[in-house]
Amino acid sequence: MYGWLWRRLPGGIPGKLLGCAVLVFATLVLLFLVVFPWAGPKLPFNHVTVDTTPTPSPTATASTAVPD
Amino acid sequence: MAGTVDAAGHHRTGQPSHTGHWRTVVRGLGELFITSGLVILLFVVYELWWTGFTTQRDQHRLLHTLHNQWAHGVTIKDPPLGSAIAILRIPRLGAHYLFAIVQGTSTADLIKGPGHYPGTAMPGALGNFAVAGHRTTYEHPFYSINRLRVGDPIVIETRTTWFTYTVENIPGTRARFQEIVPPSDTAVSYPVPDQPDPSLAPTQRVLTFTSCNPRYSAAQRIVIHGLLTDAMPKSEGLPPALHGYTIKES
Repeated sequence: MYGWLWRRLPGGIPGKLLGCAVLVFATLVLLFLVVFPWAGPKLPFNHVTVDTTPTPSPTATASTAVPD
Repeated sequence: MAGTVDAAGHHRTGQPSHTGHWRTVVRGLGELFITSGLVILLFVVYELWWTGFTTQRDQHRLLHTLHNQWAHGVTIKDPPLGSAIAILRIPRLGAHYLFAIVQGTSTADLIKGPGHYPGTAMPGALGNFAVAGHRTTYEHPFYSINRLRVGDPIVIETRTTWFTYTVENIPGTRARFQEIVPPSDTAVSYPVPDQPDPSLAPTQRVLTFTSCNPRYSAAQRIVIHGLLTDAMPKSEGLPPALHGYTIKES
């Protein structure tokens, strides 16, 4: 896989190194901005709430405004 | 035998080489395993470190917006999910401990900071002001809430008021100041906590924190309860619980 990639990259050694750097950077961006944010919340240690929100009583919800 | 050498240095004999194919397959597998390992290591870096940065950035933005609203005397009715509603300080967890509490407890809300269960009481109100927060990752606001003890103050700042809750067992209920409960135990956030009837009319002003327990697990929830013990207009200075602390604005 990596050998094949190295052979396909153009531009001699400098070009290949540059190509590698670009590919590594693109992969990191894809992982950190797309893949990981999607996968993170599926992990168990991110579950912090009790399962369902309560059915609130009329008294408890008389005011939903932020108090002053 | 007149062999040739290809670009990868493999000797070609003109015959299909089974050894060569196997070598390619095994090398490909090895590379796949090494790559998977690296991706998993990167994911650990992301979870433990990068999520803290994104939450810090969100917190900075939320606090800025909240202070702007307060400066203009704006009180938001029915705050939208994900918006900041108040500022949380817990002296036990350090003089610099400060988080904007957001409205809502969805995944998207909680990655910004501790989230207020919609439908539960607002800060200072009669009933149960219930807040969930991350114990690990996303700047882990509730990482150390297991250190809270009876008598510890928890200060909630709203536009005009410092609400000081004190960690304690809730009188007249089964709610202890700290509880480890199954994830399905929603009663901890009922207006009168820890009893089966969610429609019972509250007579006390309760605070409830929920987070995961143990750290890095979803097996249980850790719950902290407290009671409102002081409500002081911000125009009168700092509440006693924050004396001796430098109040960082944002």
